[in-house]
Amino acid sequence: MSLDNIGQDEWLAQAEARRAARGRFGRALDRLAAANPFVVGGMLFALAALLPLLTSNDYIIRIAGNVCLYGLLALGLNVVVGYAGLLDLGYMAFFGIGGYGYAMLASNQFGIHLPTPVALIVMVGVTALAGLLLGLPSLRLTGDYLAIVTLGFAQIFVLLTNTMDRVNLPWSSAPVNITGGPNGITAIDPLHVFGWELSSVGGYFYVLLAALALVLVVLRNINQSRVGRAWRALREDTLAAEAMGMPVRRLKLLAFAIGAAIAGLSGSIFAAWQTTVFPQNFDVALLITLYAMVVLGGLGSLPGAVAGAFLLSVIPELLRGPDTARLLFYGGVIALTLLLIKPRWRGVVLLLAVLALGFAVKLVAISFWSASLGAAPAPVSTGLGALAQRWLIFPENAALVGNLLFVIVIGLLMAISRLRRPNLRFALLIPTLYLLAFVWETRLAAEPSVTRLLFLGAILVLLMTYRPHGLFGKPRVEVV
Amino acid sequence: MLELTNVTKNFGGLQAVHDLSFAIGVGEIVSLIGPNGAGKSTVMNIITGIYAPTAGDIHLNGASIAGLPPDEITRQGLARTFQSLRLFLNMSVIENVMAAAYPRTSAALWQIILRTPGFRREEARIREMAEEKLAFFGARLQGYRYDQPAYSLSYANRRRLEIARAMATEPKLLLLDEPAAGMNPHETEEITHLIGELRDRGGYTILVIEHDMGLVEGISDRVIALDYGQKIAEGSFHAVATNERVIEAYLGRKHARSQESGVRSQESGARVIDVFDVSR
Repeated sequence: MSLDNIGQDEWLAQAEARRAARGRFGRALDRLAAANPFVVGGMLFALAALLPLLTSNDYIIRIAGNVCLYGLLALGLNVVVGYAGLLDLGYMAFFGIGGYGYAMLASNQFGIHLPTPVALIVMVGVTALAGLLLGLPSLRLTGDYLAIVTLGFAQIFVLLTNTMDRVNLPWSSAPVNITGGPNGITAIDPLHVFGWELSSVGGYFYVLLAALALVLVVLRNINQSRVGRAWRALREDTLAAEAMGMPVRRLKLLAFAIGAAIAGLSGSIFAAWQTTVFPQNFDVALLITLYAMVVLGGLGSLPGAVAGAFLLSVIPELLRGPDTARLLFYGGVIALTLLLIKPRWRGVVLLLAVLALGFAVKLVAISFWSASLGAAPAPVSTGLGALAQRWLIFPENAALVGNLLFVIVIGLLMAISRLRRPNLRFALLIPTLYLLAFVWETRLAAEPSVTRLLFLGAILVLLMTYRPHGLFGKPRVEVV
Repeated sequence: MLELTNVTKNFGGLQAVHDLSFAIGVGEIVSLIGPNGAGKSTVMNIITGIYAPTAGDIHLNGASIAGLPPDEITRQGLARTFQSLRLFLNMSVIENVMAAAYPRTSAALWQIILRTPGFRREEARIREMAEEKLAFFGARLQGYRYDQPAYSLSYANRRRLEIARAMATEPKLLLLDEPAAGMNPHETEEITHLIGELRDRGGYTILVIEHDMGLVEGISDRVIALDYGQKIAEGSFHAVATNERVIEAYLGRKHARSQESGVRSQESGARVIDVFDVSR
């Protein structure tokens, strides 16, 4: 670059050249990102709407319904945490108020049976009001202190629902059962939409899908307006936002109220779907999963919240069944190998080398130590699992060996990540992948509940290390 | 337009501002000078509502603004820039300016959600106004720069963006806190010219806190000097620059005395203005 060029925007001028160098996949992603979100979203929703027509498996439709429910909750939480930047750990309380409130308005608990539209609108209003009230501490507290206070509210809610089945009211002689205590409220009215009573999983899936679409549109419109800009400004620098005339306190309360209203709507639909609500439905474990979804997808990003909800609902379910779990594992390992190792042919060579190693080890073991070999701990007769089990060898105390090798594999992976010489890493990866397959077959595939948690933990740790702003988030710059 | 009467601010036992009174008329450019620690930024924070004065009152166009929250004061027609820039770094350049238009907008939540024609018209108006404010600074904040994040701007451009953002709140009185800090002589000259244009083309009344005496001389109708929270001089630039107490505050008592004799001493060799005079 000669002296004349300094100051001129070389970077922008070469943008086209850089874009061309990104490769086909990168270019496709760019086109997707630049497309009209309504068009892309519309197509995805149309595809999703076809789901109940494509499968009659209620289990799958139920999972899809859960994805929509968590998507709604993640969107609502995204408004409070992602847009306004307020750390709210009491979000489950709003979900619970929506659920219990709807239960009290449309069941035999008090004999009130409000029609569906009325009940839903009332609950959205009530939870929005609750959001305003809970948001009042946010005006004076920030960060960790706000987190503690809101967490307190969440615990209070669970405590109240657990104990308010024997409340002494001044005007009644016997204690009144308000929330049903640990047994919750049962026999809640199902939703009535346009005169039809919804009782099937597919019906509730459509209601949740419609609610998700509606909330997405509403939030996107708010995002592109003066309120959205003001929320982002207040998240960046609250003092500067206030100095520029934005009513910071009102905006914070608005964020709380809108987040709460979305949770209330979800809670009401949830209550009608399950036809029962218990205090355990709204505990802290769910809140942590929800936060993981929002952070994974990217704080402040609408498609991110839905993507996070999708991933963290679907992957644990996929890991439940042995076939799908294997598919996920082997497919994931192969895909990562081919994606991350460049040039591509080296990835292919690596996989072939691992296969060869497996066969070689099996040959040697069968020749010399065939007596001490046994069967797989969790034998599978068909599919990918059967192939893998025939490729590997299993010593007699497979469980013990598996445990030991688990630790060794983690050590190897950590060592590989620290090495600099690519040939050394390549060489070390071959036995590592083989041992990883062995550990999977002996220990992880045999205990799916443990594996699910391990997998989730690994995904979250990897993502937060290599992409801390989440899948769809933009890397944020702090004061520089 | 702005009137401070006997404003005092105590932080516990520390008296940051003591019995300060001055006034700014419409269309004036007034500079506030003083050594570091004199209380200039505290005065600015009190005027803009970040602190409430311990005693005294502040009137903007006749209405009292002491004790009001900052967003309310901005709505009444007063805007400021920050000495250490406080931009919304992760937002784009145009969004920074559009966000500051909030106090002059009125779209309600239902209009936003339904995207009514009224809302759309207002959005277009905000965008147009933001582009107009950025156009004030020439091509360097226009065109492709609109959508670039604010953290990608150079220091001088960030200062300009900060001023543009303050202008977007459509104030009558603009408070600039050290607009030329960290700028080389050429950029300082540009800022001098710009502040003049702000008054002539934009019609703003301006209060500037500044250390660069060249800039102060170039723009001020009046100068107010502070030291240890008190006003020590007020008047034209020449009157303040040759005032003994001002020289003592900046250069020490020795130089003040030699100035009083009217003779250019060999040791000090300067009036206050010459000490800061670099480019001329």
